[in-house]
Amino acid sequence: MTKGLASPGFELVTSPEWVDEILLRGADDDICLYSGGPIDRGGLRRMVALRQARLAAAGLGAGGSLALRLPPSTAYIANLLAGWRLGAQVSLLDHRLTAFEVDLALGRLAPQVVVEPGRVTSSPLSAFADVEETVTARSGRPAATPHAVIQFSSGSTGPSKVIGRTAADLVAEIERYTRIDGVPLPGERIVVLASMVHVLGLVGALLYGLHAGVQVRPPDRLTGDSVLDAVAAEPTPATVLGVPFHIGLLASVVDPPSLPQLKRMTTGGEPVPAATAAAFTGKYGVPLGNMWGMTEVGVIATDLFGEHRPALTPAPGLSVVERDGELLVSRTESPYVGVSDPDRWADGWLRTRDAGTVDPDTGLVTVKGRLDSQVSVGGLKVDLTEVEATLAELPGVVAAVVLHDDVITAYAQLDAPATAASVQAALAERLAAYKRPRRLQVLDAMPRTTTGKLVRDRSVLRQAAQGVAR
Amino acid sequence: MSAAPDREDILAMLASLDGRPAQDVPELIESMELAWLVHQVEQRYGVRMELDSGQYGRMTTVSGAADVLREVIGMPDEHFRD
Repeated sequence: MTKGLASPGFELVTSPEWVDEILLRGADDDICLYSGGPIDRGGLRRMVALRQARLAAAGLGAGGSLALRLPPSTAYIANLLAGWRLGAQVSLLDHRLTAFEVDLALGRLAPQVVVEPGRVTSSPLSAFADVEETVTARSGRPAATPHAVIQFSSGSTGPSKVIGRTAADLVAEIERYTRIDGVPLPGERIVVLASMVHVLGLVGALLYGLHAGVQVRPPDRLTGDSVLDAVAAEPTPATVLGVPFHIGLLASVVDPPSLPQLKRMTTGGEPVPAATAAAFTGKYGVPLGNMWGMTEVGVIATDLFGEHRPALTPAPGLSVVERDGELLVSRTESPYVGVSDPDRWADGWLRTRDAGTVDPDTGLVTVKGRLDSQVSVGGLKVDLTEVEATLAELPGVVAAVVLHDDVITAYAQLDAPATAASVQAALAERLAAYKRPRRLQVLDAMPRTTTGKLVRDRSVLRQAAQGVAR
Repeated sequence: MSAAPDREDILAMLASLDGRPAQDVPELIESMELAWLVHQVEQRYGVRMELDSGQYGRMTTVSGAADVLREVIGMPDEHFRD
């Protein structure tokens, strides 16, 4: 059973006590984490207290601002919870960002304290890093908003946005998880492969796991055998939580052992092709669940039993509607910090920028891919996702992005013997003339974000095309 | 045990990540590709690779990965665990 959520008014949780009440509460000897060895709640509380003292010594206090640039690790978890226990606002920066990107982010955030890796002794394949962190006080600003956590949007759709979520919003997402059929249950385990710096791993594994009494266990390494070893390490049921890349890891393990503990694998991030799902379920005989969510909201809809693929059921307490082909999700307040952007959020609805449909009879949601713009060409509406999907499916096209940059412009990475001319000829067979890209730029490699998503920022793509032309 | 994977083997293993042709695999190996490569080598050889951070650090290119794998597969007791 869940703890601390049943009381009326958990939405009033804004003081640091929510960390103790919702996340850290439990018996001292309850094993809540695993990182090289079991970590019980007593041990976790001590780790958090140690970091809390260090952060306070650096000047962090209630209403202060902290930035974490740490890889997933016990140091990351302890500093995150310590920052929240101090009543500070915690900004999460992906440790894979370049120094240039970090400088830009810190310039925008102006945190008072920054925690970064001093020495990392683990291998790059480690799911959890061994980190000795450094704590640096800066001449930053205190938190300007009541948000407990600040994250940046992926940047795959343009300049990154600053996204804020309050403690109450995080608690509400944890509460949604407790009401979704098919999530790991108290006493079970989550073998987490998704990064805990991003929303799926952060809330879906770490915060939900701590709250519900589900042990959070990363594998030693991000290889197929290590993931299966983590599942097999204890007799309790285990759910593997990751992204589609991780399905490929497990599906390509040769002769996996019998794993009665394996209860399910669940992935988020992007839809899973039917063939991939079939390969996984055929090999392991357990459900492959799917989740749809976004940094601004957390989990939005799920299909944890793989019963409705590719459709999903909205998470309890959230409403999803389709408006002009785009999916909108209910959200009381705008998640964006510092700017009022009615184009993204208005009147309690957040535009997801995902194309999709909502079945009027069942309420099931089907996500059909990014919908960055529907453009008008000579008075005719063109769905760029359709153009992009058509291009991407052509033989010899490795990856493609289509956007409107004065005219419909396509960027594509091709396999020989495909050429720009052959691709354009094939498109002419599949798309009406007004839908076809007027410009086709062939790139050696498509720009991607640190998480592997295709970059859609037109300036980045233009620059990549200029690089090819030189 | 078969011989250590050569450059062409490594390109083929990296290509199997997303189905692209081996000739289109870039020379630089990113973190997810590195995990995939180690996973593929382990599946092919039926062993677990135990590499140090210096060796991983050299596996950021296809040529570097070929060098490291050639070295460690010649010393299975030290770097492999069955």
